[in-house]
Amino acid sequence: MPTIKLHVNGRTHAIQIDDPATPLLWVLRDALELTGTKYGCGIGQCGACTVHVDGVAVRSCSMPISAIGNKAVTTIEGLSRDGRHPLQLAWQTLDVPQCGYCQAGQIMHAAAFLEHNPNPSDDDITRAMSGNLCRCGTYPRIHAAIKHAIATSEPASHE
Amino acid sequence: MNRRDFLASSAWAAGALVVSWRASGAELSVSKHPGGETPLGDFVRIAPDGSVLYHFTKHEMGQGVATAMAQVLCEELCADWERVKIEFPLVDLARYENDRYGGYGTGGSCTLIYTYDMLREAGATVRQMLIGAAARLWNTKPEECYAENHHVLHRRSSRRLSFGELAPTAAELPIPTGVKLKEERAFETIGQPKPAKLIPQIVTGTLEYGIDIRIPGMQYALIARCPVFKGKLKRYDATEALKVNGVRKVFTTQPIAGLQFVSFLPHDIREGVVVLANSFWAALKGREALEVEWDEGENARYSSEDFERIAAEHAMQRTDPTGFIGDENAVADVARVRKTLRASYVYPHQLHSCMETLNCTAHVRANECELWLGTQSAGLVVSEVARLLDLPTENVKLHMLPSGGGFGRRAYTDMAVEAAYISREAGNVPVKMMWTREDDQQCNLVHLFQHLEYEAALDEENRVYALHEKEVRTYTWAARYADPSLPRMAYDIPNLRYDFENLGAEELLQSSAWRGVDAHGRALSECFIDEIAAELKQDPLAFRLSLLKPGREVYIGGDLTLSSDRMRALLTFVAEKAGYTTSLPKGRGMGMVLCPYATSYCCAIADVTVTDGKLRINKITAAIDCGRVINPSGAQQQVVGGIVWSLTALLYGGAPVKNGRVQHSNLHENRLLRMNECPPIEAHLMESPETRPLGLGEMAAPLAVPAVLNAIYAATGKRIRKIPLPEDLRAG
Repeated sequence: MPTIKLHVNGRTHAIQIDDPATPLLWVLRDALELTGTKYGCGIGQCGACTVHVDGVAVRSCSMPISAIGNKAVTTIEGLSRDGRHPLQLAWQTLDVPQCGYCQAGQIMHAAAFLEHNPNPSDDDITRAMSGNLCRCGTYPRIHAAIKHAIATSEPASHE
Repeated sequence: MNRRDFLASSAWAAGALVVSWRASGAELSVSKHPGGETPLGDFVRIAPDGSVLYHFTKHEMGQGVATAMAQVLCEELCADWERVKIEFPLVDLARYENDRYGGYGTGGSCTLIYTYDMLREAGATVRQMLIGAAARLWNTKPEECYAENHHVLHRRSSRRLSFGELAPTAAELPIPTGVKLKEERAFETIGQPKPAKLIPQIVTGTLEYGIDIRIPGMQYALIARCPVFKGKLKRYDATEALKVNGVRKVFTTQPIAGLQFVSFLPHDIREGVVVLANSFWAALKGREALEVEWDEGENARYSSEDFERIAAEHAMQRTDPTGFIGDENAVADVARVRKTLRASYVYPHQLHSCMETLNCTAHVRANECELWLGTQSAGLVVSEVARLLDLPTENVKLHMLPSGGGFGRRAYTDMAVEAAYISREAGNVPVKMMWTREDDQQCNLVHLFQHLEYEAALDEENRVYALHEKEVRTYTWAARYADPSLPRMAYDIPNLRYDFENLGAEELLQSSAWRGVDAHGRALSECFIDEIAAELKQDPLAFRLSLLKPGREVYIGGDLTLSSDRMRALLTFVAEKAGYTTSLPKGRGMGMVLCPYATSYCCAIADVTVTDGKLRINKITAAIDCGRVINPSGAQQQVVGGIVWSLTALLYGGAPVKNGRVQHSNLHENRLLRMNECPPIEAHLMESPETRPLGLGEMAAPLAVPAVLNAIYAATGKRIRKIPLPEDLRAG
């Protein structure tokens, strides 16, 4: 069984893997027990599995583990040291989640987006977030919480 | 010995000091408990640091009841909200499964209706015990003490003790009866917009849903299910599947297919072949390599259009009324009737598409079974798994976890039966059985199908003399027909009639409950009311108000009545908030819906523009009268969420079937509303004359379809009587 190295949330793991085509999602969930990253559709349609690979938001359900190489993976568990990323705080203040299942993906996508576009317009936010599905219908509060996070965070607090 | 004595003494015999609140009879019992946290009732444990652990007995699936129920308890307990924590319990049927409070069952928007009084009494009882403990320690009377913000204080001195300090003494006291509840005007926690308790875990990815469970030695199971409902397995060849690295076993689920459980929620499990592997990915690859041949059966000859035609034929057939007021044949009364109107509406099957796909982890052992599951029906899960495995129910241990959306789908027990069966057949190994999104879209239970046939009669003075609603539907629980047995409306029409036919036997898919259940189709009567207003050239708002006579309690069958006053108030309120008017530019229109669901009422006005044949929803304004609101923030979310729910059905929803197979395979084909398609939604909570919570989670789910259909008519003069909307009307 081949062994691969994977850098996740600042740690390096050696993982034995049967099939190098295994998507990153299942390695995170089943091998590393990082279950904050969710399965939703398996075809990159819903965004529940969104993680950062070298700071870029990717759909981990559709990214084979063999394609990661030395790149650094960040999951929701590693977004901030203490759960106090401005988006995580804004999600609490504005009481965003309902069932909460899609929210890790929403937050990870929003975090990568704000890194590249710290002062987005309302339409920019809507465009950026329209790839992430929420069956409970929390879209208006997700939108508002992203604006709240921008308004309340110092630029330096983005990690 | 009465029941209460029995409970108390049996608990004593166990040798622990536990003050137990028996939900089954609102009874309390006392027993000893060694050190650490002090239990004060099943719902409450108080840790030495003062943390209040609330033992949650319903299912949290996004509707917010864990937080709302904790708020009710916290209120009467006079606890500090920040120190109240929610814990998810191991199911204990003997203690909680009962009719009076709905047991563990979570659905029908009933949770707070059932549990409000119980939680208040529980909180007040524990508060009184803490006060009693302080009185004992201070050698004074309980009347000299009061509880406030997690402490008990002495009225005539500065003495105070925290709940954590008092709990061990409180647990030794007899349980008070007839405790005094707080005055409602003194409420501090009930009615406050508290963020949901689970958010810190949600935003850090640490909230454990069913799908996240890991058990040592656990294997993963996927099932290849027959793609046609009621089809059978003909043959399979596992040779290639077993060559996939990690695949352990392949076997069938034939013995549990089509099992008829003694259940309030009847449903069939599809026949299939299990692939068991050491990882999800290996199980998936194994399933792809599996060769299966199905005997698809009779249903493979039919498609959605065939079924819809059958439903329409039934709708046109004469039946006996299920219920009527006045003359059941008034529509045909030629002496009185000047003109009749007729219209057919169709609300087709829908998919639940819970973001967390169905799953269950099961571990069958020699004489017991352990389950990890997010379920709306914990009681049924335990009893049906016990029946499958021939175990006493107390040997089935169910860990009830929050879920990533339930919407009625998690009221069914099939996932638990499948998982338990697989664990046993695999040789008593722990198994996580999962559904992929493709399974979820193609082999699943669906929202019931509704065809509504309406007929109205106008008399010589252009009054609505009669209205006849016939519903053809695919699902009725165990009942012969559905309540309410009259049209679900409070309009003052002298002759009302409702007919019902169940098409369940002929359906191509297994119907089930879907957030809002039958209210979706029945709310389409609001489109027909709009048609009558248009025929009479009346403003739809003024027309509705003219038919809502003040001061009426309108009986609609079962034990349901509607208050015309509450409905008038709600409609008037929403019209004002929406700035309702018919003086709009060409191509723009407003449409409304007034929708009762049991004892709560919802109302919405959609504002749309149709330009060059493309629909744009400018705004939806809605309000709810759901009695007392426990948490305005969560309540507002439920109204917004319900509207998004019905917008998906309006724009994209459905489970089209061709030759017995659902055509959509995943979320690129069965689309869900996205942020860029979500119109501005204004959701108001109307002050209610009712003082108790009356149900919330499903109320707004039917709103958007009739409101937008009526608005499209106002904008274009075109009536649409079936969803989803024609593709060419959808923007973008």
